[in-house]
Amino acid sequence: MKRSFKDDFNMMSMLLIPIGVAVNIVGFQIANVLRLPIFLDTIGTILIGVVAGPWVALLAGLITNLINGIFNPTYFPYAITSMAIGLGVGYLAKGGMFKNIPKTIISGIVITFIAVIVSAPITVLVFGGATGSTGSLLTATFLASGQKIWSAVFASSFIFEIADKVVSVLIVYFIVRKMSDRYLSKMNYGTLYMKRESNN
Amino acid sequence: MQKNFIQQLHPLTKFFFALFVSASVLIIPGFIFSFLVFPMLLLIAVAAGVAKEFFGTVMKALLFLLIIVFFMQLFFYPGDHLIGQWGIFKWTEEGLNYGLTLTSRILAMGSVFILFFCLTEVRDFVKSLEDAGLPPMGAYVVLSTLQIIPEMRRQANTIMDAQKTRGVETEGSMLTRARAFIPTLTPLILSSISSTEERAITLESRAFSAPTKKTSLHKLTKSTADRILPFIYLIILLGMVLWRILT
Repeated sequence: MKRSFKDDFNMMSMLLIPIGVAVNIVGFQIANVLRLPIFLDTIGTILIGVVAGPWVALLAGLITNLINGIFNPTYFPYAITSMAIGLGVGYLAKGGMFKNIPKTIISGIVITFIAVIVSAPITVLVFGGATGSTGSLLTATFLASGQKIWSAVFASSFIFEIADKVVSVLIVYFIVRKMSDRYLSKMNYGTLYMKRESNN
Repeated sequence: MQKNFIQQLHPLTKFFFALFVSASVLIIPGFIFSFLVFPMLLLIAVAAGVAKEFFGTVMKALLFLLIIVFFMQLFFYPGDHLIGQWGIFKWTEEGLNYGLTLTSRILAMGSVFILFFCLTEVRDFVKSLEDAGLPPMGAYVVLSTLQIIPEMRRQANTIMDAQKTRGVETEGSMLTRARAFIPTLTPLILSSISSTEERAITLESRAFSAPTKKTSLHKLTKSTADRILPFIYLIILLGMVLWRILT
């Protein structure tokens, strides 16, 4: 069923946004408590992209960074990255790229590229190449070994993002598979993942 | 909270101030002006009674970042005028300059927004956006997100404890700890999602999406200061731009 831009923003989708944003924030905190080396701060955005479409996910990504930015303004510029990830996931999901594990992994790699390509310029132009996260250490190492700033930031971002994004998309894949058909039927794009035969 | 003059200003006035300061540090070249912004903001914070909160947040959020940014530029910014060396680390005049400029700008822009959020309750800010045209659903989304986050964190802790009693290990090797993530996250997400259905029904039953104009219990007022200040910001900003162009 063809959906227009406006159709995406119904009540259920909009109500998913607070959940998605909270999952982004709490997921990041759980990852910190468990001292995992990956961020896991985009699971909510990816989940919304898969079930509610690209534009709702874009909004969710934007709001995540706005709210994080209240407590630490350095997150504001990266809103563009979150938005790009949401948009990317939504369109990949619409194209059926989350229907099985191999396709999901490919989606994860595509999302990694999106994340790196959008966030590296922000890191270089706004923050001069480093923000104090663990990635900065890698960036500094690359720079010390003679690389220029852009390639150092791209390389270190890529290494950190690929682990994070591929794991995140797989987590979302498994969660969506656990959702009941009844619930998926309420979501705009849930029909892609329902277990019963649909008329698509 | 007890409100004094500065806190009582309309949220948009304070927000425009943040934008004004951010724009001005980008227009004025060099780092002296930008570094001066922070003590000025501190004075405003003291006058408004939020100095401790302001200073604490700035330190927590910005200090580490600023140190890293400064040293990254000092050592690695491409430049020819070597002014010092220590072992394999060498620093250049260009690096020092760029480091100071970038650090001072990040400090100024970051701290003015931190100050904004110290002086303005999110509820007031969202209401001012709604008055300016934000759809009520947008306001609801932001406000309910802020409410849900602490709630979800509590739930996450409860779920983590519950899973621990079922034998999920949260300490040990990284792989063990990683295995604890999904059993914690999955119930959290699934239960949160199922509650959205209930929330949707609740909102609908209160005519939330009815296309009529809604009256609000919570009102914001604009004082004379609120009407004049944005224009003052604009005039000063234009003055800075002209100064920059003419010199």
